Amino acid sequence: MAILDLQRVTKRFGDKQVLKGLDLTVPTGSIFGFVGENGAGKTTTMKLILGLDTLDAGQITVAGQPVRYGRTVANQVVGYLPDVPAYYGYMTPTEYLTLCGRLTGIRQPDLANRITAMLKTVDLPQNKHRIHGFSRGMKQRLGIAQALLNRPQLLICDEPTSALDPNGRSDFLDLLASLRGEMTILFSTHILPDVERISDQVGILHDGVLQVQGDLNALKRQYARPKVQLEFASPEIAQQAVAVIGRPATQVATHVAVPFRGDYATMVEAILKALLAAHVVPLVVDRQETSLEDIFREVTA
Amino acid sequence: MSATLTFWHKEWLAAWRNYHVLILAVVFVIFGIEAPLMAKLMPDLMKLALGDQLSIKLPQPTSSDSWQQFYKNTSQIGIFLLALVFSGAVSQEVSGGTLVNLVTKGLPRYAVIIAKYLVAVVQWVVAIGGSFLITWGYTAYYFPDDKSPHVWLAIWPVLLFGLFFVAVVLLGSTLINSNYAGFLTAALVFAGLALLNYVKAVKRWNPIALVTDNLDLVRGTEKITHILPACGVAVVGALVLLGVTIWAFNRKRL
Repeated sequence: MAILDLQRVTKRFGDKQVLKGLDLTVPTGSIFGFVGENGAGKTTTMKLILGLDTLDAGQITVAGQPVRYGRTVANQVVGYLPDVPAYYGYMTPTEYLTLCGRLTGIRQPDLANRITAMLKTVDLPQNKHRIHGFSRGMKQRLGIAQALLNRPQLLICDEPTSALDPNGRSDFLDLLASLRGEMTILFSTHILPDVERISDQVGILHDGVLQVQGDLNALKRQYARPKVQLEFASPEIAQQAVAVIGRPATQVATHVAVPFRGDYATMVEAILKALLAAHVVPLVVDRQETSLEDIFREVTA
Repeated sequence: MSATLTFWHKEWLAAWRNYHVLILAVVFVIFGIEAPLMAKLMPDLMKLALGDQLSIKLPQPTSSDSWQQFYKNTSQIGIFLLALVFSGAVSQEVSGGTLVNLVTKGLPRYAVIIAKYLVAVVQWVVAIGGSFLITWGYTAYYFPDDKSPHVWLAIWPVLLFGLFFVAVVLLGSTLINSNYAGFLTAALVFAGLALLNYVKAVKRWNPIALVTDNLDLVRGTEKITHILPACGVAVVGALVLLGVTIWAFNRKRL
């Protein structure tokens, strides 16, 4: 059962065809990493899902309800965290969340209780301090509070970690991961390790369509291309190693990667034999598994 | 309706916390006090300034002079100050992205425009109405004469003009993403209406009569029925402009 379904969605801005018949299905309960380069159309897709922009063609449904520009009832089951959340700086977090809660139809005293609980969850103080004095990280946490306030079935986050420092990023990903099982999460990013850390489903947007979509582990198996990773003392020795290995290999500075199929130990033995015969000694030998980055490079090449 | 009410509350909080209410209160209270005071002091000020060079005898100031000063302040400075305060009402929210969260939570776009319009109109009425009451009190105290028999009648057209003028400001602020768009649009429309006033055939229908004929109404040299067509055009114009603003805002990318 899919909570979000996009079928043959197209969108053009002037001469640029951003989406060319995009099909995207987000299974209920999943954490879906929506990956693409900058400018690939991730934010456009999210704005279309939220009814903030008009479709040129195609259809979008959220929880079985069709999305319509400007007045979608589906918004009542969606929480949205923009990439750069913009607030009214003259309000306190409590006032802002009260405004959001009233608009989503939450009544008092439930609203006041939810606000208190939500501010505690995102570790923001409930006091008279106004939002204009908040740091970027605090604003991001307020963003997640407003997005979760109506207990949405679908949480949409647009590049949520791109402007956070490493600690803030890690905390934020932990928070998203903790929501697994409570709601479906769709988050867009170009930071692939973030997707690998918390997502179970992935879609890669490139050239206006979804190039691949599915379970992350299944995709890794599908695109499996493990490598033997070797490290040498200098780039010159690494270059020499590439020449003596006698099979396709790529060199980046002091590192050499040799793709292989079959048994890892057999491959390592063959490589080491060739290197030692030429008196070229690696400092480190390791196995490199297929990463999301490998899949991304392959499908966007 | 409930979304409009929620946004109305937000707009009042914004007007209060961003000091718009305070600025308007200070300026319009000063206008209210200044008009009768200037009328009262003007002969003495001129005597002080010109001394013995003043050969003619200045007439005694009347309540009519006080009201002349009041309507001059209102139509030449007051309404443009209000236009400046409301100028970024929509454009600031669009360029700042503050509406995105709220619209995705189900805030209808029409509610944004209606709430902003109503809050601006109420501020207009309170600012000008308050200023009028202060002038009325001081004028009655300083000039207990019968030169201004229709004081209460003359203020209504100014208040009515606010319905039209605020709609123009909001339309400008919606069409163009600049904080000064609303003000500039209002200034251009005002200038256009002033030019149109030279065409005798449309004079009675021109909404600008609502802020230019007030002294004649105060003195009783013009009847309110003379500008009723202009009142009608202002009200219908305001409704049409409000409709166009909502239509334009519905199509605006946030």
